[in-house]
Amino acid sequence: MPLIQTENLTKVYGKGEAAVVALDHVTMSVNPGEFVAVMGPSGCGKSTLLHLLGGLDRPTEGSVMIDGSSLSTLSDNALTQIRRRRIGFVFQFFNLIPILSSIENVALPLILDGKNSAPAKQKATEWLRKVGLGERLGNRPDQLSAGQQQRVAIARALVTDPMLVLADEPTGNLDSRASDEIAALLAQVAKEWGRAVFMVTHDPRIAAHADRIVFLKDGKIVNETRLDAKDDRNNEAVASKLRALAA
Amino acid sequence: MSVRHAVLGLLAQRPRHGYELRAAFEAVVGGEENWDVKPAQIYTTLARLEKSGLVAEDSIEQDAGPEKRIYAITAEGLQTLREWFDASIASEHQRDEFYIKLMLGLVADAADPHQLIHTQRTHLFQELHTLTVQRSRVDPKKELARILLIDKAAMHLEADLRWLDMTEARLDEIKRQPLPEPETKPRGRPKKI
Repeated sequence: MPLIQTENLTKVYGKGEAAVVALDHVTMSVNPGEFVAVMGPSGCGKSTLLHLLGGLDRPTEGSVMIDGSSLSTLSDNALTQIRRRRIGFVFQFFNLIPILSSIENVALPLILDGKNSAPAKQKATEWLRKVGLGERLGNRPDQLSAGQQQRVAIARALVTDPMLVLADEPTGNLDSRASDEIAALLAQVAKEWGRAVFMVTHDPRIAAHADRIVFLKDGKIVNETRLDAKDDRNNEAVASKLRALAA
Repeated sequence: MSVRHAVLGLLAQRPRHGYELRAAFEAVVGGEENWDVKPAQIYTTLARLEKSGLVAEDSIEQDAGPEKRIYAITAEGLQTLREWFDASIASEHQRDEFYIKLMLGLVADAADPHQLIHTQRTHLFQELHTLTVQRSRVDPKKELARILLIDKAAMHLEADLRWLDMTEARLDEIKRQPLPEPETKPRGRPKKI
């Protein structure tokens, strides 16, 4: 069963003459442990889709089911619970709290959810180690590189054990090397740690890390591409490209 | 290129026999899946190079198996190699099969250009994904040479993808313009004035 299922998901901003259809009857699904990238020109509805999936915004029409429960039937309280416990968010500008250390930033979602500080910090430490920041536990964001800050943000997204991680241009503020590392880490979040990852990006290099790319245009899905084609023709195509380049 | 220049380069490093040359070539290009040179091609290349005086037989190695002729580069061979190093390599981006397909699709009205672009984009993204997976398996501390080649391929794919996006955005405009036609030259003798 898919982890996310949308049916005719539609978002219209404004009314009457001034109405803008940001998302136009989008039906799609994401499976557990799947890494999906969403691409498309700016204004195509990528971010709107991400916000609707994360329950940050309510659809004009259609529905989002996450793990069997429809977001639109939930009370604000229940929606907040889902956002806190089942969904992790990663943003372009990291959104870390400047005066807190890595551990404190990562532990924050647990503490806001009423957990005690000691077990929360222990959990935070575990995730910081997993994302490769075991040596940077006590550093504040301004003592970390941009790539390291995004790692802290990913650890924070994972600390509540969510089933779904939503990432909005997670490499938009990083150089190409850090971008590649963050995309590889998100692939690991899906492949190794079994979370579904749904990422908005405009960068083909970053999208290429995903299992599937959904292309949006004018609020509609215009194309879906599976990337992990199992057949050898693709490998052969890549090999022949390398051959041509070496020539 | 030029397996020919590669053979000269490898012989400039040290004398080798044909089998060794093929293995060394394969190692440089990152495996036979990237560039498969058949042994026969190595041997005919060696024979041609020997005939032109660019390589010469150095010695014959004889252990258990059949005898192996070991080749070394000559002074003329070094000169040819020098010229190759001094020259630049022309790129081949103007000869593009997809471009021709797209143009013929537009002219012949036989294929939907949006569909052509879509099919191509899907394929390029799949290639980029395969490269990304390959790259993640290569150790940058030991196999940087391999990474350089993968990165080059990935950068070209990115450029191709950008070009597809741009082309798609311009499709309506290009349909309004006449497509390139050959210049018509009058046949026969020019008329007397």
